[in-house]
Amino acid sequence: MATVAEAFRAARDARRPIVMPYWLIDRARHRELPAVATALVRAGATAIELGLPFSDPIADGPVLEAAAGRAREHGTRFADLLDAARTVRSVLPVALLTYANPLWVRGLARSFRELRAAGVSAVIVADLSLEESRTWRRAADHQGLDLVLLAAPQRGTERIRRIARATRGFLYLVSRYGTTGASARGAEVDLRRLVRAARAAAATIPIAVGFGVRDAASSRRAIATGADGVIVGTILEEIAERHPHPAAAMGATLREIAVAADRALAERDGRRARPSRFRTR
Amino acid sequence: MPRRYGPFGGAFVPETLVPALEELDDAWRRARRDPEFRSELRRLSRTYAGRPTPLYFARRLTRRAGGAEIWLKREDLLHGGAHKINNALGQGLLARRMGKRRLIAETGAGQHGVATAMVGAALGFETEVYMGERDIERQRPNVRRMELLGTHVVAVRTGSRTLKDAINAALRDWITNVRTTHYLLGSAVGPHPYPTLVRELQSVIGEEIRRQSLHAFGRLPSMAVACVGGGSNAIGTFHPLLSTPVELLGVEAAGPRGHPVGAASLTRGRPGILHGSYSYVLEDGEGQILDTASISAGLDYAGVGPEHAWLKTTGRVRYVAVHDGEALAAFRWLARDEGILPALEPAHALYAAMREARRRRPNERIVVTLSGRGDKDLEQVGGDRR
Repeated sequence: MATVAEAFRAARDARRPIVMPYWLIDRARHRELPAVATALVRAGATAIELGLPFSDPIADGPVLEAAAGRAREHGTRFADLLDAARTVRSVLPVALLTYANPLWVRGLARSFRELRAAGVSAVIVADLSLEESRTWRRAADHQGLDLVLLAAPQRGTERIRRIARATRGFLYLVSRYGTTGASARGAEVDLRRLVRAARAAAATIPIAVGFGVRDAASSRRAIATGADGVIVGTILEEIAERHPHPAAAMGATLREIAVAADRALAERDGRRARPSRFRTR
Repeated sequence: MPRRYGPFGGAFVPETLVPALEELDDAWRRARRDPEFRSELRRLSRTYAGRPTPLYFARRLTRRAGGAEIWLKREDLLHGGAHKINNALGQGLLARRMGKRRLIAETGAGQHGVATAMVGAALGFETEVYMGERDIERQRPNVRRMELLGTHVVAVRTGSRTLKDAINAALRDWITNVRTTHYLLGSAVGPHPYPTLVRELQSVIGEEIRRQSLHAFGRLPSMAVACVGGGSNAIGTFHPLLSTPVELLGVEAAGPRGHPVGAASLTRGRPGILHGSYSYVLEDGEGQILDTASISAGLDYAGVGPEHAWLKTTGRVRYVAVHDGEALAAFRWLARDEGILPALEPAHALYAAMREARRRRPNERIVVTLSGRGDKDLEQVGGDRR
């Protein structure tokens, strides 16, 4: 299986949108994962982002926070994350999203080595800023993992240039001021400016937009910024909570988002969109 | 200002907050050198908050302990009843300089919430305070006070429903409203520059102790003692004394007797990353933050300021932990002997100070920072009809 970075670059070069769905590791629903992964691939997923629950997820909104709390009550541990990665690695490239402390306490070298061995190829740490990331990047490089940095709305463009140069694999662009799943409020941020600045600093790095992508409209808006794709979390978690066997419903929602992204990309490129039942691989 | 204390500190935050932290750092660097800002802060500290606070010789308590003299730094006499106003005033003025319209804060015991509410009212901010549901239950009077001061108190129902979760909620609010809002963090914790900013604003405690000790007994005390939750009154007490020979003792909450960790991050925790900084943390082997327990809502926190982590490592400050029952005993002794109701937080420091006093000669002096008054704790302490 390709790495997340390879899959993202391949999608971009083929003028397909990057689509990365999120799945929070929860021991109680581990059995659903193979079916979910298959459905997500069919719906157009480029890679999957696995979430390791943390007790104090300050970047997460109420839906993902509550989900993490339940997962911890079910006894979810780091080993469950490794199991999940091994389960899906043959179907999709695997990224990890978590917070700094679970990785730090385990030891960066050990965490990254175990993740790589389980098939994870990119790591995203929600509370790791550029300033603190040097040791982490070095440790990840050493184990052959991509440490993905996040960029967020800001006034100037100097900072996003630095982040775009320092990130590995792809650039995770946070779409708005707020936590995951937050409903849009206030003035929408002009992300086009940030995407242009990032491209100017690191021309080849794929850019994916996350936080607040939950339907066709938000997917189109994300692609219209000039980004290469979308990361989809909260809406899929909401579905997973409602359905005992959520694969089909998650796939259907992700497909709408992927199709909208593909149309928006085609429009941006000035070409015709693929048929709506397009497959990515 | 230092980003790190030895290996501890830093700024582990979602990227959205980084520009705001840089702006705060920058604003504070300018403000602390600006004579106008300094004189405004000094004026309000004196005329609004009630500084300087007295240094009081607790004669009867000294006799009870038997040994070194016990002196109390009376931060409980400040407006609002705690040292928290020192920091809230400084950050409030800073927020005004930065053009923010809204203040948010977390609170455990409610003392920092009350201080923020007072400053918000006095300086004309819209103010919102996050407080864990459990803390709301056990510190009712402070909730009422905040509401009367025009502050909206938001109950936090996630996690352990205490201070840790209130900080999570405040951080989430800040991520969302960072352009208009200043997060008035109440302790010497969190991402850079907060630990340093809060320490500098609280250092007035230790500076006064220095000056008043020389005035009262002609030299520095042999020991200074303060309670440590996040550690703001302690770092304010200790920092101006670091380069002196004064022994420094930080007192954490051990919680109910038999509890595995209580809320004693330094004495029972390990290095970890929580709420934006690398410090000592109560955590399990998987890096998940543990639920804490203490009779004192203000000490009931799984983390601690990064400068304390460094002072523990270097050995300059000694840290011990005191149980709920011991703190309650000290609470009653101070009430009966001196006519002072201390908050349960400094009651921990008081107990440890009395234990130290017993081991020392009567010509030695121990200064205890009495960081707040105990009116808020009457329900916790229960009746005493004896």
